[in-house]
Amino acid sequence: MNGSPAVELSGVSREFDVSRPWLARVVAGEPRRYLTAVKDVTFAIERAETFGLVGESGSGKTTVARMVVGLLPPSEGRVRIDGVSLTDPGSAAARQRFRRRIHMVFQDPYASLNPRWRIERIIAEPIRAFGLARSNEEVADRVDELLSLVGLHSGDRFRFPHEFSGGQRQRVAIARALASSAELIVCDEPTSALDVSVQAQILNLMRDLQDRFELTYLLISHDLAVVRHMADRIAVMYLGRVVEIGDGRTLFQSPRHPYTRLLLNAVPDVSTRGRPDAEIAGEIPSPIDPPPGCAFHPRCPLAFDRCRREVPALLDGVACHAVHEETVAA
Amino acid sequence: MLSIRDLRVEFAMRRGVLTAIDGVSFDIGRGEVLGVVGESGAGKSVTGAAIIGLVDPPGRVADGEIRLGGERIDGLSEDEMRAVRGRRIGMIFQDPLTSLNPLFSVGDQLVETMRSHLDLTAGEARRRALALLVEVGIPAAEERIGAYPHEFSGGMRQRVVIALALCAEPELVIADEPTTALDVSVQAQILALIKRLCRDRGTAVMLVTHDMGVVANTADRVAVMYAGRLAEIGPVSDLIDQPLHPYAVGLMGAIPSLDQDARRLVQIPGTMPRLSAIPGGCAFHPRCPQAFERCAARRPPLVAKDGRTVACHLYDGSAEAAR
Ligand SMILES: Nc1ncnc2c1ncn2[C@@H]1O[C@H](COP(=O)(O)OP(=O)(O)OP(=O)(O)O)[C@@H](O)[C@H]1O
Ligand SMILES: Nc1ncnc2c1ncn2[C@@H]1O[C@H](COP(=O)(O)OP(=O)(O)O)[C@@H](O)[C@H]1O
Ligand code: SF4
Ligand SMILES: [Mg+2]
Ligand SMILES: [Mg+2]
Repeated sequence: MNGSPAVELSGVSREFDVSRPWLARVVAGEPRRYLTAVKDVTFAIERAETFGLVGESGSGKTTVARMVVGLLPPSEGRVRIDGVSLTDPGSAAARQRFRRRIHMVFQDPYASLNPRWRIERIIAEPIRAFGLARSNEEVADRVDELLSLVGLHSGDRFRFPHEFSGGQRQRVAIARALASSAELIVCDEPTSALDVSVQAQILNLMRDLQDRFELTYLLISHDLAVVRHMADRIAVMYLGRVVEIGDGRTLFQSPRHPYTRLLLNAVPDVSTRGRPDAEIAGEIPSPIDPPPGCAFHPRCPLAFDRCRREVPALLDGVACHAVHEETVAA
Repeated sequence: MLSIRDLRVEFAMRRGVLTAIDGVSFDIGRGEVLGVVGESGAGKSVTGAAIIGLVDPPGRVADGEIRLGGERIDGLSEDEMRAVRGRRIGMIFQDPLTSLNPLFSVGDQLVETMRSHLDLTAGEARRRALALLVEVGIPAAEERIGAYPHEFSGGMRQRVVIALALCAEPELVIADEPTTALDVSVQAQILALIKRLCRDRGTAVMLVTHDMGVVANTADRVAVMYAGRLAEIGPVSDLIDQPLHPYAVGLMGAIPSLDQDARRLVQIPGTMPRLSAIPGGCAFHPRCPQAFERCAARRPPLVAKDGRTVACHLYDGSAEAAR
């Protein structure tokens, strides 16, 4: 342990090559095409905090998650876990330690659980892989303990993933994350496939486990209410960039970026009954060919000349020329 | 406009008959939006399918009445029903591609649908199709009328589907999770559009969704379904601010809201029963924090209470009687 944040992203970008196959491209005389999924993202997650990442589909949330857990290298910039860079050539031993300490929980747990393994083996695998128990009995005891922690029965250990409901499978995925004594859990849309009553069970469970084990969460969701409920701090993404970042309550009570305001006006929430329908312009443009300057300008009610030319920097938690100029003027 | 009484839908399976919809009754008036909510498997889509006569075999409407504009439409022949669908009932589904033919341009599909239901010349139909595309907010509609479904984004496709559902001026529109696959900013646009068009035309809407937020901002009344039955139905404000049925209470408390700081969400223990194992008495009683003896023994009838209709023994006088 040291004083550095659990996770630190500095100037992280990620491109994907989305060119057509070589031959087709040459025949048609097309250049290579790149898609910028994440651009110049910088934020830090403190220990034992829940950091929320929101944005509509294609905004780059999953790509950030995959870079944080090391499934995908950034094209530019640096991801540090506990102050150590994931990409430094020298830190192979440190990376091995991180592998154990970071775990990812996906939207569809079925895709991440081996369908031919019984639950027992699925949960025991990280315990064995990282040598976290000395004997088979100890492994079995630990599996039992984990099952009861996530609210499953000891008898469930002999069942296969397909015999569980979506919510139960998500519990198994969480038990597996805890099995490796993970301290940082990256949850990508963990409850998006679940019914609200099951979602409530999983969110409560995540909270309880966090209080008990001082877990750090990176929670990704397109559901603003879920993120509002869970996260201490929140970053809003639009077309690969963070447009606003701040503590959850302030961000939701007094959003500053016009896109954050648009999102909050668009979310249907039980607390907004009777609100007049929001006037919402346009759709999210293609990330292959994003608008120049501030990518939000074609939909922005505040856009002016500068927005079409210059990418706004993330200053004081918000990336918007109109907000910046108003702050300077005030 | 639409009136359903004691609807029962059964699926004849190898191991026995499963009852997917059991005694559901409700009405939707002209220009009214009824939200139908409930968790996965509650029977929302099957109810919609029963109304349009499209319950998949081995399912069938086993009992009850469905009336549209006073006239019974359950038990019509397949040909008669086909004339009702599209003409008198428009449909909007989650995936717009299920409603669109990939081989025809959107203009041709609109013209074709209008001409098969209304007495219009090709030229008139085309003019109306264009006007509709403009009305549902397709930019540069004149240029895009000849485009094919795959050339539109998801949100634009759903707009085309709305145009298609409304083109024959139906009395009722059934929208089954019309925005579930869309991003929130597009969802807001689509919901506002459905609301506006139906209100202008006096079309009744049955809006099926699992999203309470959507219902809160779109519907006039809400029906909460559980295990194929109606738990509670009433005006949206009453149901959201002060639900009566314990399942509706749990459902409301389980939803994180933008304006609350609650540490914990209400947790309803357990899960919805499978159709093959629906508990006797009140189907919710094993999960209900307020259940008493009668709940396991007898099925609660739908009773009127505080402007709503609710199926729960707490409100039918038996709770006092038990005391
Ligand atoms: N073809 C079928 N054969 C057998 N059972 C069916 C069939 N179609 C639906 N059911 C059952 O009927 C019940 C109600 O299903 P329905 O599709 O109406 O649920 P829903 O409320 O629309 O759920 P969701 O939110 O998941 O769409 C479920 O238990 C379902 O399994
Ligand atoms: N492996 C990949 N190859 C090409 N494009 C990708 C790949 N992964 C993601 N993208 C693109 O990057 C953008 C951001 O995607 P993603 O991070 O999945 O967004 P989100 O999770 O916010 O919906 C999208 O436009 C997506 O299509
Ligand atoms: S920078 Fe300009 S276009 Fe972008 S959000 Fe701010 S005002 Fe709008
Ligand atoms: Mg994603
Ligand atoms: Mg359904």
